[in-house]
Amino acid sequence: MLIEIAHFLSILATGLFFLCFIFSFFLNSKDIYIINLVSRIYTHSFLIFLSSFFIYIWLAITDNFSVLYIAQHSNINLPVFYKVSSIWSAHEGSMFLWIIFLTLWGAIYNIATSNKQLLKARTLGVISLTSVGFLLFLLLTSNPFETILPLAPENGADINPVLQDPLLAIHPPMLYMGYVGFVIAFGQAIAFLFEGNPEIKWEKQVRSWSVASWSFLTLGIALGSWWAYYELGWGGYWFWDPVENVALMPWLAATAFIHSLSASSKSFILRIWTLLLSILVFSLSLFGAFIVRSGIIDSVHSFANDPERGLYLLSFIGLLVMTSLLLFSYRFNNLQSNKKIVSLSKESFISINNIFFGTLIFSTMLGVLYPLIYEFIYDQKISVGAPFYNAIFVPITLIACIFLYFSIDSKWQQSFNFKSLYQPLFLSITASLIIVALAFYKFLIVNFWTLASLLIGSIIIIRYLIVIYFYFVYRKFANFFSIIAHCGLGLLIISIALNDNLSSERALNIKINETEVYKDYQINFKNLRVVPGPNFDSVKADFVITNPNGKVFTLTPEKRKYFARGQVTTETAIHASALKDIYITIGDQLDDGSWIVNIQFNVFIRWIWFSAIMMVLAGLLLTHSLSRSRS
Amino acid sequence: MTVLIRFIIIVITLMFFSFFYFYINDDKYYPGADFTTSDMPDFEIKDLYSERLFNIKDLEGNYLINVWASWCITCRVEHSFLAKLDSKDIPIVGLNYKDEAEDAINWITRFGDPYRYIIHDYKGELALDLGVTGAPETFLLSDGKIIVHYRGEVNDMIWDDVFMPIIKKESLFDAN
Amino acid sequence: MLTKFFLFSTIIFSSFTISESLYKFDNAEDEKRFYSLIKEIRCPKCTSGSLASSNAPVSEDIKSKIIELIKEGKSDQEIKQFLSDRFGNQVLYNPGFSKDTYFLWFAPGLFLILILLIFFFRKRT
Repeated sequence: MLIEIAHFLSILATGLFFLCFIFSFFLNSKDIYIINLVSRIYTHSFLIFLSSFFIYIWLAITDNFSVLYIAQHSNINLPVFYKVSSIWSAHEGSMFLWIIFLTLWGAIYNIATSNKQLLKARTLGVISLTSVGFLLFLLLTSNPFETILPLAPENGADINPVLQDPLLAIHPPMLYMGYVGFVIAFGQAIAFLFEGNPEIKWEKQVRSWSVASWSFLTLGIALGSWWAYYELGWGGYWFWDPVENVALMPWLAATAFIHSLSASSKSFILRIWTLLLSILVFSLSLFGAFIVRSGIIDSVHSFANDPERGLYLLSFIGLLVMTSLLLFSYRFNNLQSNKKIVSLSKESFISINNIFFGTLIFSTMLGVLYPLIYEFIYDQKISVGAPFYNAIFVPITLIACIFLYFSIDSKWQQSFNFKSLYQPLFLSITASLIIVALAFYKFLIVNFWTLASLLIGSIIIIRYLIVIYFYFVYRKFANFFSIIAHCGLGLLIISIALNDNLSSERALNIKINETEVYKDYQINFKNLRVVPGPNFDSVKADFVITNPNGKVFTLTPEKRKYFARGQVTTETAIHASALKDIYITIGDQLDDGSWIVNIQFNVFIRWIWFSAIMMVLAGLLLTHSLSRSRS
Repeated sequence: MTVLIRFIIIVITLMFFSFFYFYINDDKYYPGADFTTSDMPDFEIKDLYSERLFNIKDLEGNYLINVWASWCITCRVEHSFLAKLDSKDIPIVGLNYKDEAEDAINWITRFGDPYRYIIHDYKGELALDLGVTGAPETFLLSDGKIIVHYRGEVNDMIWDDVFMPIIKKESLFDAN
Repeated sequence: MLTKFFLFSTIIFSSFTISESLYKFDNAEDEKRFYSLIKEIRCPKCTSGSLASSNAPVSEDIKSKIIELIKEGKSDQEIKQFLSDRFGNQVLYNPGFSKDTYFLWFAPGLFLILILLIFFFRKRT
């Protein structure tokens, strides 16, 4: 009964959102009465839709297995937290969550934006239209409200045990918040283009929304990476899997976008770039949703899906994107600014940045599509993986970072003050060369790219340290958001390079009570025990590890067998420290009773996520600062 | 200039989306089917029942190789179809993949033997050379060359859609 | 007691193992090569992922074979050729540099150069 109410509410919301769109685009959207109306309809639509979702959550928590989706993905034995997170563990439910977040951003925008703002109505209209499109997709092809009546099962199926993890439960929500948050920038851009008045400063309005979304997106991707690291058991954190790439592209576009936005919101410069990027970011988000849910790409990540859904999504997204680009191509002429970009000004660096990021996006798209196109033409399979992406990303990122270094001294709408350039340049180059020399002599790093990454990463961080110094001593201006985020970037580059170069692993063959030595660490296989868990049985192996300094700690990797589906998973055991992670998993048991144990030393890996956190922090602080200055 | 940009934007976007449209609609043949021709790799492995060694010279002409194991559940389902092929006099050589001989023999005794003979590839060495990734998989050979490699269960539908066109084209197994 | 336990764990896990799946190397260089190779070779059975990330039986077999080939003194290129002969080209994450893939490798660079040219050219108008 409740499920039918929830279903009805979603249908009602769809209708109301559509009404919202119609009113905003077919009535005078600048009339305050219309804006009020649209705003109120939007609020009501959202609340109705949200209620539908809350009912759904209630049904999941109360084990209502008459709902097909809940029966397929939840189970009486699941802890409550996972009953809720099972909602977004598969296609229909996660689509539901996606639309909730899409409309949520719209709702927050609705409240936070004054009705006197000219573009508000049409922005809400675009958000509503997008929501309607996805809602129709949900209700017509991927209905989470389907029931199994009259014979509802007594218990559901267990969700994939790999999905029963707190981090994995928050990774999709964070990611979705990031993806759909850009609907606000997209909506404003469309409203702006539609209105056709170049005087409107739409860029300023969307800045806080976009930076906030970017922060969520960065966090979502970082969480996914961290989860993959400790859960999947082989110690990698990024696989250039098609679905990861398809999440990376919106992030690249979003990063370029927020930088372009910072230029355009200050003066009428780079407006065309900014407009194009706002359309691109959201389009890439939608494209990502399409790829993951259409089943056309093989990936461990993709929801198993059918071509019908793929076609619907393709048509809807295609229509949306083509319409926006068409609109853009007809209106961008009017936006040609009389202002020229001054050579070597901050704006010029941002333009170059846009070009580099554009190339990265293009390359990623190429890598993702190439196997598809190749198979389509030649009927043969081909794979494009890490070797390609690394070969493209590493050089371009490093070159872009060199430009980043010089952009630190750049000014808005003016060229450099060359004199102030030399001293910090000399200082930072010297300091980073010392660091590189240290790496070369002490750690015996000879790989060119590792050393280059180390050099460029350090030079950026050191330069910013000098900026901070000047701020405290000479009261010279410092943009701390920029400092934190870019130092995060520098750290990211250094960490990835060092991790790649210095990490190592080995598969040990060891019996109980035996001790093996790896890199001066003593590994003693102390014990093997069987422990029952809530919905699985587990075999735990205790390893007592002594480091070269004599310090002792225990790591307990395990293997679990889940009752419901009989799946066997390996749980890793990690000893984390600032310098490295010691990472152990148990492999198979051999005929002679010994076990294969995989041990890895992952150097500097914590720094990788720490740098991502730095970027997220910078983004959140900036969002806070921007929203305060708005009101 | 503006018109050019407009044109480029529209055309590229259109191309992009229509590619996907055609890709989705493309009648994707069975993804498990591979039609590249290759030579049968050389091998020397013993028969399941006896100590007799098989090598590549023992296999001549046109026949199927079916990869199976007692631990493979799908193979039980496939078995009845293989029996049907056997009754039509289509020669099938069994490749027992990573199986204990005793388990394999018990399985055959229980379900029946559709194979002309069975190679006991305990270590999976020949399977590796053939590019086998699991069971069941089936190879079609013509004159000692592999012309079809199918990964997955073979049943009436697969046989008709994947194997029969090639069989007819090459005129193998004349009774069919 | 110990035998009962081993029986128990084998029953729980029933993973099929062959006693040769030991990763023993002659020297550190070989070991490094191995771990680097398995990241570049795709697991032929999995929907996606490298050999390093897979413990499917066929992946384990391939890894053992790679170790064998390394010990025999085969080069990385020869090992990759060996595997692509048997499992198809798609098992290599590096699609290689052939006329089929020229576009893949050159396009990013060309794209960058093209956009940079347009950017600098437009500034002048």
